[in-house]
Amino acid sequence: MRSARLAAGAAAALFLAAPLVLPPYPLGLLLETCLFALFAMSLDLLVGWAGLVSLGHAAAFGLGGYTLALLTLHGGVSLLPALAGALLLAAAWAALTGALCVRGRGVGFLMLTLAFAQLLHTVAYKWTSVTGGSNGLAGIPRPPLALGPLGTLPVQGETAFYFVALTAAAAGGLLLHRVGRSPVGHILQGIRVNEARMRALGYPVVRYKVAALTLAGALAALAGALHAAYTGYVSPESLDWVSSGEVLIMVLLGGTGTLLGPVVGAGIFLFLREGVSTLTEHWMLYLGALFMACVLLFPQGVVGVLRGRRA
Amino acid sequence: MDLAFLVTQALNALQAGMLLFLLSSGLALIFGVLQVINFAHGAFYMLGAYVGLTGLALTGRFWLAVPLAVLVVGAVGALVERAFIRRLYGADPLAQALLTFGLLLVLDEGVKWLWGPQIRSLPTPEALRGTIALLGVSYPAYRLLVVAVGGVAAVTLWLFLERSRLGAILRAGVSDRQMVAALGINLGVLFAFTFGLGAGLAAFGGVMAGPIASAYPGMGVEVLIKAFIVVVIGGLGSLKGAAVGSLLIGVAETFGQALAPDWAMVAVYAVMVAVLLWRPTGMFGAEAAT
Repeated sequence: MRSARLAAGAAAALFLAAPLVLPPYPLGLLLETCLFALFAMSLDLLVGWAGLVSLGHAAAFGLGGYTLALLTLHGGVSLLPALAGALLLAAAWAALTGALCVRGRGVGFLMLTLAFAQLLHTVAYKWTSVTGGSNGLAGIPRPPLALGPLGTLPVQGETAFYFVALTAAAAGGLLLHRVGRSPVGHILQGIRVNEARMRALGYPVVRYKVAALTLAGALAALAGALHAAYTGYVSPESLDWVSSGEVLIMVLLGGTGTLLGPVVGAGIFLFLREGVSTLTEHWMLYLGALFMACVLLFPQGVVGVLRGRRA
Repeated sequence: MDLAFLVTQALNALQAGMLLFLLSSGLALIFGVLQVINFAHGAFYMLGAYVGLTGLALTGRFWLAVPLAVLVVGAVGALVERAFIRRLYGADPLAQALLTFGLLLVLDEGVKWLWGPQIRSLPTPEALRGTIALLGVSYPAYRLLVVAVGGVAAVTLWLFLERSRLGAILRAGVSDRQMVAALGINLGVLFAFTFGLGAGLAAFGGVMAGPIASAYPGMGVEVLIKAFIVVVIGGLGSLKGAAVGSLLIGVAETFGQALAPDWAMVAVYAVMVAVLLWRPTGMFGAEAAT
């Protein structure tokens, strides 16, 4: 555990120092890594703790993006209320659909989450007057960070927005870490390992599952909203099943149930995709081959394997 | 909504359901016996269409191209199982899903590399270009053939599973694979055969769909989701479920497309959500052991 803390400290120092040394392009990639790390960590709460393998997690991410886009494009609101709106809407969506999805188990649950996410994708794709259809919404401004009586922080610059993303990811990660180690986290783990026993012990299993889905949905929406503000663009692809699959890959690549793993997985995924796609037009082929190699070599995920070696 | 419209749409639904059955029966078999969620299944469907294309170019005969596609892709499937999937039995089921997801990317991109990214169409066989008068409507002969072939395939598959020795072993593998191994049956060969059979069925669907919908990289992904839905609402690993589910989804999609084209997929998802809320383990799935 001490070495884990050391690693986390070193990582934090690296992330904080990055804007000083990195040119804009890799810094932008690191910013995206922060947001996808938050997205992947929120999924890890579901997969690694509660055992809820969702293939629709991108729904919350995309819903957050669209909410922020509409609020800033038409409402002109500043960053915090826009994020709050995205969070609340996605949490409500996650709670509502989650309550239905948890009726299925295993693959049934997975398919139900997929169905609801694809439903949202269809709405985003077809409701052109509001969502822009397949073109999505472009020109989303990065709203300023209004802090009430304290004044307004301009966070539109690349470096400033990097710190916004980093703060969000760190806060989200810390929250998930605390939840994971709390009694609630242990109950969720109990549900993953032996749901029938947890129910026999009198725990309201369904309520815990829905609560986990709601929290994870809200954090995914935070990541999605910031991503939309960063890129200035949101499209139906952000909430389709390929996005859900990609974030699941990040979690599995890094190692489930570790929180640190999804961060590593998000970094590996984004940097590799970027690196390989500049080298060859057939980058998907190499990416696919790499996934296969990763699974065959580290079935427990990168972080899982490292931890296993140490123990 | 007159009668001719209804008959045409019903035939369309039947034909879509048959194609879907070829795909989802393989998926159900693979899940039932190997307990692997095979994301690469759609890629086998696509590969079937493309191998069929090449087979047609080589032999000039559709009737030779179809079995060629099924055999080639079936062999690819068996090889994939031996080379990769086999290493992950007993691991986290998610690891297998991730592996097949990687395989999907490789095959999708590989097809783009080998055959080019453009949309290709498989010509309808000369003899079947016409229409046939049926129940007061004239319906394309090739589509009727698809319905017939799908029906024959379903019956053959059923006979094979219920009446043949190998089929009995496969069914035993679904219910208790440890017992099958204890009886001295080579599980490795059985698994490779199952995966190959599933891949071959998907390829069959792909090559038969070729003249109706054209072949393009990524065609597998679209159809994969529908096949997943079929397998889940039918009940995982249940062939009967795959058959009934295919028809149900075929009907939902075809009539959705005819009545409200933009929302056809919504109809499909609505059917799935309704079935799963009614029976979380699918129509013919075993009750979940909790």
